[in-house]
Amino acid sequence: MNLKRVVITGAGVISPLGNEVHSFIEGLETGKSAVRYMEEWRGYTGMRSHVAAPAELKDERKIPRQSRRSMGRMSIFAVQASEQAIADSGITPADMSSGRTGCIIGSTMGSAKSINDVFETMLPAKDLSNLSSSMFFQCMAHTAAANVAQYLGLTGYIMASAAACASSLQAVGTAYDLIRLGRQDIFLCGGAEELHPTVTGSFDILYATSVKYNQTPQKTPRPFDKDRDGLVCGEGSGILVLEEYEHAVCRNAKIYAEITGYSTCGSGSHMSQSDKQSMIHCMNETLHCAQITPGQIDYISAHATGTQQGDTEEAAAIREVFGGSAPVSSLKGYIGHTLGASGAIELIASLIMMKKGLIYPTLNLTEVGSDCRGIKHVTELTPKKINTFLKNCFAFGGINASLICRKMEAIND
Amino acid sequence: MTEQEIVEITNKVFEESFEIEREKLTPDAHIFTDLGLDSLDIVDLVVALQKSFGVMIRNEEKVRDIRTLQDIYNFISAIKKEETAKK
Repeated sequence: MNLKRVVITGAGVISPLGNEVHSFIEGLETGKSAVRYMEEWRGYTGMRSHVAAPAELKDERKIPRQSRRSMGRMSIFAVQASEQAIADSGITPADMSSGRTGCIIGSTMGSAKSINDVFETMLPAKDLSNLSSSMFFQCMAHTAAANVAQYLGLTGYIMASAAACASSLQAVGTAYDLIRLGRQDIFLCGGAEELHPTVTGSFDILYATSVKYNQTPQKTPRPFDKDRDGLVCGEGSGILVLEEYEHAVCRNAKIYAEITGYSTCGSGSHMSQSDKQSMIHCMNETLHCAQITPGQIDYISAHATGTQQGDTEEAAAIREVFGGSAPVSSLKGYIGHTLGASGAIELIASLIMMKKGLIYPTLNLTEVGSDCRGIKHVTELTPKKINTFLKNCFAFGGINASLICRKMEAIND
Repeated sequence: MTEQEIVEITNKVFEESFEIEREKLTPDAHIFTDLGLDSLDIVDLVVALQKSFGVMIRNEEKVRDIRTLQDIYNFISAIKKEETAKK
């Protein structure tokens, strides 16, 4: 079968460092941390982690009320990031209503605040009388994808990937596969997530959150560092426009990169513990898909969230596949772990790194943990020509995903 | 509760819940064609009126007959009078 080529032609971001790609990148480049102390979370008994990286919800009233009413916080982020990505790509309303443009947006679940609000309204007296019409549309698992598709009038494939922290990379990877197969010409794809104490709490009860830096929030999370003590939740949305190569060339589109490899797999071993062997398998399958060797990867955007066990396993997996050949950094120190949005947000950052020839280092990595050595950590802003990079996401549920992008001008090298 | 209070509270629901400018809130305004509400909004209108007036109207058949703001004023007024009569 003759598979199509797939390129990235647009990007949009709502992040804890800013509500567009430019401010997000400026924050990374200047080494800013968006992590802050969450005073309001002190009211939750048993919550040990009081740090998070919030994004700013703004300009939501620009979305007409009857469209906005079905959107929780995360769907508003997704719509705003999608509008940026569309404007960046130059695709037209005719493209969007052609039936050949789809939408895949992932998240861990529906809007956490909306879900909480429904139960707070309904459960005290077990009374449904005061539930509003749109709460279900904010709570459903495909809320971000459905809201974006309805708001923009998309009529192609509309899907939602729900794989916790791998959700948005699976969304991009699935869009890549569907365009390769010729099912669609264009996809809006990525992920969205929102902060809520119940979200951080779900990690906190598993001892996976950072708890030692409540009074010095900008020192955490600390991916790969010897003093790392867990993850910090963030929020936002990252949306990319994926497009069939010839379609993009025909309309003279700006092309960020070609996606040349993708793979996803399950660990089959544990619900919450990361697994080195399945990570290795996932990265190797992605390299195989891209038909390249480990030595051809110029940069690895690690999943590394700052948890003890997750970072140990990812470092070991990268060490086994790449040795010390490829520079590695994690962006969680800047924006926390944006969970279902992290893959897409960090993929966009990696595309900008590729464009600028610059690697953003792992913030808060001051001394590499003994279990994370043997890979090429980037600890300062580093100029580097990047022709090809690998993005990793590893999620609860034992779900792994990796994706490889290649610079367009390097395609025919 | 006076008729004027019913008008003010109802209009406040339309301003706050449905973001409609006060100038458009005339008694003869049709809630679908003039004010732009749709079938989902009617569910939210019922919830908002229940909260604002402390009444339970979700299962009232007469809700289906509401077309204008004046219909709502009359509907709430009738319910409030029934409440008073029962007391």
